[in-house]
Amino acid sequence: MQSQTPSAGGSSPTQGAAPAAVFGQYAIAPGAYDELIAPGGAVRPVWAPVREYLDRLGKAEFARRWAQSQRLIYENGVSFSAYGDPENRPRPWALDPAPMLLHEAEWEGVSTGLRQRARLLELLLQDLCGPQNLVRSGVLPADLVLGHPGYRLPLHWERRAGRTLPTMLTYYAADLGRAPTGQWWVLADRTEAPSGAGFALENRLVTSRMLPEPFRDRRVRRLAPFFLRLQQTLRELAPSGRSNPTVAILSQGAAHPNYFEDAYLARYLGYQLVEGGDLTVRNRQLWMKTLEGLAPIDVVVRRPNAELCDPLELGGESPAGVAGLLETQRNGAVAIANACGSGLVESPAFMAFMPRLCQALLGEPLKLPGVATWWCGEEKSLDFVLANAERLIFKKAYRRRGEESLLLTRLNQKPRAELEQLIRSDPNAYVAQERVLRSTAPAWRDGRVVPVRVALRAFAVASGGDYEVMQGALARTNSGGEPLEASILSGEGSKDVWIVGESPVEKVTLLPSEQEPAELVRIGGELPSRVAEHSYWLGRYMERADAYARLARIVVTRLTSERDASEYPELPALVRGLAEQGQIEAGHALESMRDLLPRVEGALASEVLDHTQPGSLSATVDRMFASAAQVRDRLSRDTWRILLRISDKFRKQRTAEADLTDLLNLTDELVVDLAAIGGMVIESMTRTQFYRFLDIGRRLERGIQAAELIQTCLVESGPPCPELLEALVDSADSLMTYRARYRARLTLAPVLDLLVTDESNPRSLAYQLNTLERHVGKLPRSGEGEPNASNEQRLALSLAHAVRMVDVSDLAESYELGRVEPLKRLLAEVIRDLPALSNAIGLKYLAHAAPPRQLAPT
Amino acid sequence: MLYRIRHTSKYQYSQPVAVCHNLVRLAPRADERQRVVSYRLIVSPEPSDQASREDLFGNRVEYFSIHDAHRGLSLTSMCEVEVAAPPAEPADDPTPWEQVRDRLRRDSAALLDEYRFVFSSTHIPIDQRLRDYAAPAFTPGRPLGEALDALTAQIYKDFEYKSGATTIATTVHESLESRVGVCQDFAHLGIACLRSLGLAARYASGYLRTYPAPGKERLVGADESHAWLSVWSPTAGWLDADPTNNCRPGIDHVTIAIGRDYADICPVQGVVVGGGTPTLSVSVDVAPAERGRG
Repeated sequence: MQSQTPSAGGSSPTQGAAPAAVFGQYAIAPGAYDELIAPGGAVRPVWAPVREYLDRLGKAEFARRWAQSQRLIYENGVSFSAYGDPENRPRPWALDPAPMLLHEAEWEGVSTGLRQRARLLELLLQDLCGPQNLVRSGVLPADLVLGHPGYRLPLHWERRAGRTLPTMLTYYAADLGRAPTGQWWVLADRTEAPSGAGFALENRLVTSRMLPEPFRDRRVRRLAPFFLRLQQTLRELAPSGRSNPTVAILSQGAAHPNYFEDAYLARYLGYQLVEGGDLTVRNRQLWMKTLEGLAPIDVVVRRPNAELCDPLELGGESPAGVAGLLETQRNGAVAIANACGSGLVESPAFMAFMPRLCQALLGEPLKLPGVATWWCGEEKSLDFVLANAERLIFKKAYRRRGEESLLLTRLNQKPRAELEQLIRSDPNAYVAQERVLRSTAPAWRDGRVVPVRVALRAFAVASGGDYEVMQGALARTNSGGEPLEASILSGEGSKDVWIVGESPVEKVTLLPSEQEPAELVRIGGELPSRVAEHSYWLGRYMERADAYARLARIVVTRLTSERDASEYPELPALVRGLAEQGQIEAGHALESMRDLLPRVEGALASEVLDHTQPGSLSATVDRMFASAAQVRDRLSRDTWRILLRISDKFRKQRTAEADLTDLLNLTDELVVDLAAIGGMVIESMTRTQFYRFLDIGRRLERGIQAAELIQTCLVESGPPCPELLEALVDSADSLMTYRARYRARLTLAPVLDLLVTDESNPRSLAYQLNTLERHVGKLPRSGEGEPNASNEQRLALSLAHAVRMVDVSDLAESYELGRVEPLKRLLAEVIRDLPALSNAIGLKYLAHAAPPRQLAPT
Repeated sequence: MLYRIRHTSKYQYSQPVAVCHNLVRLAPRADERQRVVSYRLIVSPEPSDQASREDLFGNRVEYFSIHDAHRGLSLTSMCEVEVAAPPAEPADDPTPWEQVRDRLRRDSAALLDEYRFVFSSTHIPIDQRLRDYAAPAFTPGRPLGEALDALTAQIYKDFEYKSGATTIATTVHESLESRVGVCQDFAHLGIACLRSLGLAARYASGYLRTYPAPGKERLVGADESHAWLSVWSPTAGWLDADPTNNCRPGIDHVTIAIGRDYADICPVQGVVVGGGTPTLSVSVDVAPAERGRG
């Protein structure tokens, strides 16, 4: 008997045996509707072919494909989720590989109901933010509306004649659950700035790739038409029908949990991803601050809650907002999707009135029922819910997006009497809802398929007076029976939803569908100043990491060789270089040779890899990664992959006790990885301002690092031995060139030529300074034909000039005669003026405007 | 009574301000008791853009922004406004305040624009402590007007007017504790009491004509912004009350704006980028344009 049960992994060594069926032991929970198994035990028709397919595929193969898919999810996650997250938090709504299947006939019914509900909510919003006739005529209780904490005066659309409200609800989501009867119920409305469509899209890309055969054979409806419609609608929303409007997604930045989705959708839809600090209001219009000046924004996809969006009118000093945004919305100069105020109706209190509202506003009954809801602000309802408290769940009547899951649990765990007292003290603030025993669907858990509870998040987008519903959804899963209230933050699971059809699938693409020929564009669009700043710092940290790694490697190589370390006369100067870079404690550089070596040997690896020390190599790698994360939507996938690999390696190394061999390996790999990024930048990155700022950062840093190391080795350490010259040339990756040219022991003049004045050596000072001069000349200028060269132009020119004028033979000769002065002066000038150049560029182009503050009120 | 009013607010910044956005509510309200003869707002430096609209309560809201670096901002509003005395209250209106409360609840749909002023708002809490404080004035069955006067007198008696003792962040409960404050605190307290009783009460901002001490010249620019409250009566409409001066406002009060509380109608609010530490100086001059005392 026992031998018949499939082994856990399905990897039985017995060849030729049938693979273990994926659905082998699926046992449904009593009471609930199961999506896979009908009462009586038969597989539901919509599932049958997929189930057969999966059972044929077998557990082992399914698990193998899933492991492959997780790699893709991982890469997407690192591409888009919260940056530099040391906890490596799992993605919210982690994907379950088993899709959920629904027939298109059934989904059509649900969609009809959702379209009606979205139209209804739009009309409701138009009334609440406008004339409030629903209250005046008694359809809605006045207390429900006027006591709404989200109802803010500036969100009210003033009464001026001839003004029409903008579309309030462009984009809508509903949470649905299936009751044991098979009926779908609306559990909640999401109208503020619904999340989840990006996850649905990502889930689809993963599952369709993992299970291509059933995906194709079952004629699964595509998600692309929905996003195409979204693009079309946003285009149409643009003020005065601008034909090629600029659409921006207003995000709360890389540290916000919604960032993954914002960045993912921005890339998929081809929109600018902006933050509050990138935007400004001027002439009652919305603009993006770019290097070239202000660029107009026509449509904003709003992701922060409305109350964070305009510090002028809605208060707060949130960096997510833009002062004057509401004024631009009133002015009709920008379309905001969803309009500020759209979140009013996602409060559960309105669910109690939806049947009544539907009759009043549309003259018809609700097509898709909402879960029964009672608003305690009505006396009759209050009595009813208190008498039936056991079978109901209580919620806050008014929802603030992103806060309620915790409250909810606490509320329903209160003792009965305490709960009653709480509700009676402020009945308007609470609703009660019927518990819905949601349906179960198969999920892959620990190598088995088991039933878990599901709710669907469905999406709709405005479309010419009506709405279009996504032919798919995000199934949200949890294994307990508790209400699925928790939103995106709580990290529940999700599934792809396949709407299977009979007719062949229509082919659509997100490429421009209209017959307009694409205009040829040679520039990368406008670059927000904030992005330029991060690009610049990415360049600087890349070079800093490279310089640090190279010097550390040179020292480690000598310390780990079979010769005795004291046989290396160049070591003290090199260790001093490490100390001046800040990689190791400054004290090491002062110690005598005999004390020095054992101590450096012991401490080097741990200090260089200590990311809590701001000057360490590890900290530099962290900052490089953080800068890259801020601009990752502009880096190629492969570049990002390498950056991630670097970051991973350093992160892993930290925890262990690293020794010199580890450090040698790490620095070796880092140098190669950075070279790979450098190569990709040169080979694949178009020469936009983004590239320019990245390269300015690199050249500046490389110049500073090179000048400082030469100074340490040649000015501060006395006359160099040939070994030190060799190490110096090695640190500049120029040993091959030297050997090819001179085939001799290293002497000063050729070394200085190679490192300082040789314009053909990409590691020389002259090369950095020439490149900088060229870049600075191509930075955007505000006025045509400015009479005088700008500060940064003058600095770049004088630096390049100083090095060009050097006669290397003279310099070396006087140095060897004991006159260090000329070399010292030259290096000092470079070391002084490069940071000055950095400041000048920063002030003019990168100065990140300070956050807005409230003026003391009068 | 015709007034000529000049109201100047000057901000000085220790650091330059790169950008500012402002909302201004300084235009006198035009309604059945006030006629605005002229109004002008002068902003220096010159704003980059300006717009004006009316809010839900019928107040004029002006928006402007300045995009050139500046170290100071000056706002001067100048207006001529004619104020009429409130209509005579029906003599000895006997309507008990509880009836007004019940009527509001019963007819909330029809009375929506009054009923808005029954709810808690940014600066107005509603609770038992406030009901308790108002209880001596709002005795059972007492006519609304009489009870209002009693509450006004009670606040006037209980509280010390002390300029600078409170800020806009001071809550109603804090001033109830400390028993000091300025007009704004007294208005907020009165409103909070009235709303805690279920009545509709609103906040008014504006100016108060001041009289020079006997034998002295009127001091130009020494006046101040003022604040008071109104409560809704089904027979008399909005009844004004000034707890700072223990009176019913007449032709000495000029109304700029009405709202649920200060937060709805702050005269000048703004957001600046940069600016360091700002200092503010205000001067208000309310001059009767006619001789004599109305």
